[in-house]
Amino acid sequence: MNFLQYLQGFFEDLRREGIPVTTSQTRDCCQALLLIDWLNPDYFYTTLYSTLIKDYSYETAFNSVYYRYFASGLAMAAGKRDLPASFAAMPRGEAAAMAPDALPIQGMASLRGGLSQSLRNPLDETLSLASLEQVQKMEALFPLISRRLAAKMIKKNRRDDNSMINYRSTMRKSMSSGGLPLNIMTVRRRREKPVIVAICDVSGSVMTFSCFALAMLASMQRFMRQLRSFGFIEEVDEITPWLNSGDPLTLRTTVLRKARVISSRGYTNYGNTFTSFIKRYSGALNHKTTVLIFGDARNNWFNDEIQALQQIKALARKIYWFNPEPESNWGQGDSRMLVYARYCQAAFSCPTLNSLQEAIGKL
Amino acid sequence: MQDKIDNLKEGMFKAGYICDDRTATVLYLSEALHKPILVEGPAGVGKTGVAQAFSAMKNLPLVRLQCYEGIDESKALYEWNYKRQLLHIQAVGNQNIDPREVEQDIFSEQYLLRRPLLQAISSSLPSVLLIDEIDKVDFEFEAMLLELLSEFQMSIPELGTVKAAHIPYVFLTSNATRELSEALKRRCLYLHLNFPTLALEEQILRLKVPGLTDHLAGKIATVAHRIRQVDLKKAPSIAETIDWAMAIIQLGLDDLNEAVTLQTLNVLVKHREDLEKLEGMIYARNDLSFQPRPVDNRAW
Repeated sequence: MNFLQYLQGFFEDLRREGIPVTTSQTRDCCQALLLIDWLNPDYFYTTLYSTLIKDYSYETAFNSVYYRYFASGLAMAAGKRDLPASFAAMPRGEAAAMAPDALPIQGMASLRGGLSQSLRNPLDETLSLASLEQVQKMEALFPLISRRLAAKMIKKNRRDDNSMINYRSTMRKSMSSGGLPLNIMTVRRRREKPVIVAICDVSGSVMTFSCFALAMLASMQRFMRQLRSFGFIEEVDEITPWLNSGDPLTLRTTVLRKARVISSRGYTNYGNTFTSFIKRYSGALNHKTTVLIFGDARNNWFNDEIQALQQIKALARKIYWFNPEPESNWGQGDSRMLVYARYCQAAFSCPTLNSLQEAIGKL
Repeated sequence: MQDKIDNLKEGMFKAGYICDDRTATVLYLSEALHKPILVEGPAGVGKTGVAQAFSAMKNLPLVRLQCYEGIDESKALYEWNYKRQLLHIQAVGNQNIDPREVEQDIFSEQYLLRRPLLQAISSSLPSVLLIDEIDKVDFEFEAMLLELLSEFQMSIPELGTVKAAHIPYVFLTSNATRELSEALKRRCLYLHLNFPTLALEEQILRLKVPGLTDHLAGKIATVAHRIRQVDLKKAPSIAETIDWAMAIIQLGLDDLNEAVTLQTLNVLVKHREDLEKLEGMIYARNDLSFQPRPVDNRAW
């Protein structure tokens, strides 16, 4: 096997891990490889890294493939030996031009074979099926997600404040320039700040999901003053003060320890949650509030208490529901999602972290 | 090629920036392949610093475009100086002048406000173009930028096409607050900067803070390193570590201990909650490593 084929295998394995490696990237990579000294592992690694991956979140996957292929050092020695035969003997420019054509790109075919489970982009991993190791990977990427979310929200708040001309003040300003409107004044529309009430299922059945939902709320809390969070299993309790660290794995335990979310039986009870929310916290709701509910809507065959959710809907501006289950499972078994969804402005299915982030960003 | 990378490192060092092998390799490749570099990493690790040092090393002018929410072509490329045009029209309004002449007048070079991108392209010398915080712009602007970065020319309808005499060295920095488009990422070499390793930070401190003893530099770097591992609203940046070292020197202190740290912590950490957290840790005799200990920071 010559080095080009070996490299091609490397590219394909990267694609198999879900890293988008395009043809032009492989071409850049080959060009760059012609320019550096392969025997220095740092140079070699950096060349592959900087030309092939363009997002930090892929680093873990990249490293593991790289390690498989090149870290042994053997491979590089082999590559060095084959190099004269394959393309180092050609004049530089020609070799660079040839390199891309020499690489048959079959990435798509191998992609269809299915991605290997353990090494996909951790953000696209199904939360309910994730292993501890995957959860840790997600956790590592979590700051990235919360930052993106923050940026999106801030952007939303700032958008559309240009447009309309304020004729009155434009005229007034133009006085100083003899009636020439040198400064055009625009109307600034004031946007109402959103008031958010989040109600999050913290039971064991949606453990990973609720860990990350809580972490997401905690990070939102950092840049939104008017956010109150509530946790529930069968009883609902305010958890806003406990959401002060951004660590997804400890937040849920803290909440379970500090908040009163269990009364007698310990099974998730959405009906009771809604009724007692109305009873105890209806003061938190007004025409400005948006209610976010995080949970799988699996009610353990307890009473739905639709009228309580209806009351919440009547008091608040909007209700959004984020469900960790795929939409096909809604309404199956004890899932009451389809019933509850009727009272929501929208219900999102968020089986992965990426989809959860996207859904929240859509608000 | 080895000596080229070593030269780069040395040049960057003289310009006040310590490159590790990876950064130097990427810089070298970008120069050789004429490709922009996309620099990502947490705030305060020296993303902007790379570009600044690079321009200082090459002795080329640095043209900086600071991106922000809602930036548009008129702030990035060029804009007609509308006020002066208006005044000109008013001034000639009462005289009998050929309208075409007026039109030519007001769309001439002197009424053109050159914004950073046009400056970088039209300058007669090669330049270093730094596009800071590219992740803040919207998609339309990114697409425009993309075109510019591949062609290095732009057309001004009233004046014609401006083509770069020299292709500038381009650095884009991003805080990854949103995904950049695939097309843009594909065009660039990717450089991910992280907080420096302990040894590197020590070196940086010694370079940037004259009069700092090796012993103190080591201790400061260790404590900063340890503080970054605490879950804070904002981890201290390299610039802040340097400020901290300066402050300690200014106070005439020659060792770092709990008391000194408590006294000067506000140089390093800027959020009240973070301060309280760290003060609490110090009072609780939590290990902030006033004793140096080895920290492994390799990728794998």
